[in-house]
Amino acid sequence: MGAAVLVGTQKGLFVLTGDETRREWSVEGPHLTGWEVFHAMRDPRTGTLHAATNHAVYGATTHRSGDLGQTWERAGEIGLPEESGLTWEKSWHVEPGHPDEPETLWLGGTPAALFRSGDGGATWAPVQSLLEHPTRDKWNPGAGGLCCHSIQMDPSDPQRVYIAISAAGAFRSDDGGETWEPKNQGVAADFFPDNPFPEVGQCVHKLLLHPARPERLWQQNHCGVYRSDDRGDSWERLEGNGLPSGFGFPIALDPADPDAAWVVPEEGAENRVTPNGRLGIYRTRDAGASWDLLTDGLPQQAWASIKREGMSFDRLDPAGIYLGTQSGSVFVSPDAGESWLEAASFLPTILSVEACEWQ
Amino acid sequence: MAVVLLPSLLAREAGGEGRFETDASTVREALQGLPIRDLLFDERGTLRPLVNVYVDRTPVDDLGAPLEPSAEIRLVAAVAGG
Repeated sequence: MGAAVLVGTQKGLFVLTGDETRREWSVEGPHLTGWEVFHAMRDPRTGTLHAATNHAVYGATTHRSGDLGQTWERAGEIGLPEESGLTWEKSWHVEPGHPDEPETLWLGGTPAALFRSGDGGATWAPVQSLLEHPTRDKWNPGAGGLCCHSIQMDPSDPQRVYIAISAAGAFRSDDGGETWEPKNQGVAADFFPDNPFPEVGQCVHKLLLHPARPERLWQQNHCGVYRSDDRGDSWERLEGNGLPSGFGFPIALDPADPDAAWVVPEEGAENRVTPNGRLGIYRTRDAGASWDLLTDGLPQQAWASIKREGMSFDRLDPAGIYLGTQSGSVFVSPDAGESWLEAASFLPTILSVEACEWQ
Repeated sequence: MAVVLLPSLLAREAGGEGRFETDASTVREALQGLPIRDLLFDERGTLRPLVNVYVDRTPVDDLGAPLEPSAEIRLVAAVAGG
């Protein structure tokens, strides 16, 4: 079983497969030509590939492949109920359900909508409770639209689900998606000068749960990097101790170390490129108390941009970290960020990377 | 039978078939009968704005128009994108 990276781009899906050292990579694809692949993942429960796919003319859907990309099947029609007054615009992220429910998957996207599949991604049903959320009139779209982009399952409790919406904030359900409670205490929304700590309206860019310590969450936000140790009930802001900026999009974790995280800061909301004219990854190993710059093998002259789904991590030891730039390069670190290599270049604009096992 | 001709991406999504015969009485009915109808219409049944429909090489706005048995429908994506 080798390592692979599913690379979603504006022009199809590419698969990078690596050798045992994770230093030699080959590129397969493109699959799903003509489609924008906002996110793709391999379901560890079934081995099926799932992709959140969009087309400027033909709308938003998902595709799945049970034969490692040789053939693809489009999901049945995805739509929002008429009484919502909304129509489905973009598929952003597809996430496996709880390990005990191998046919359950979740799909998030625009306009701040969530779907659940009970048949392995063949069909999707909208999660009504989110469409009717009492705070919905206080949500506003970020630059990428009003998108539900993060979905995290609590491995210790099949009823607990987290989602994040830009710009509505983080929400937790303790009843399998029947109700959703905002979880934004301590998270800034500096773009509301009159009330920078509202109940909802925060611009979360990416939210992750640590699989080995599921009460611990991390988020890269429009307004800082945050960690929660109480299932999102409160958040601690973490930058200012080595990070050049609190602004960025992706975040990566180490499944073996709950205190480790990687981020890619950008200069700020007004200039969304990596700071100081270089591509640098910042790592913490003390839960965000301090951050170190990692540059070995990364280009020293670069003004790079990384999408919210543009970084991933594997489950090997040491952790592999994967980065995809909007300029079409995939950088891989097989040693937790100490050193990097360019595994692919000149791909179309990269929208997502997702590490997985391959065979 | 009228025929519907699909561009290549839609043909791939239709299982590799780019030509469909239909005995539908209207253009809308013909399009709704295709296996890729979800890519042509949104969930309200509205034709997606960048999908152009031609019947016998003439652009059609009224999808309720009667369909002659000899008609040829072509679906053309608007010139857009990057």
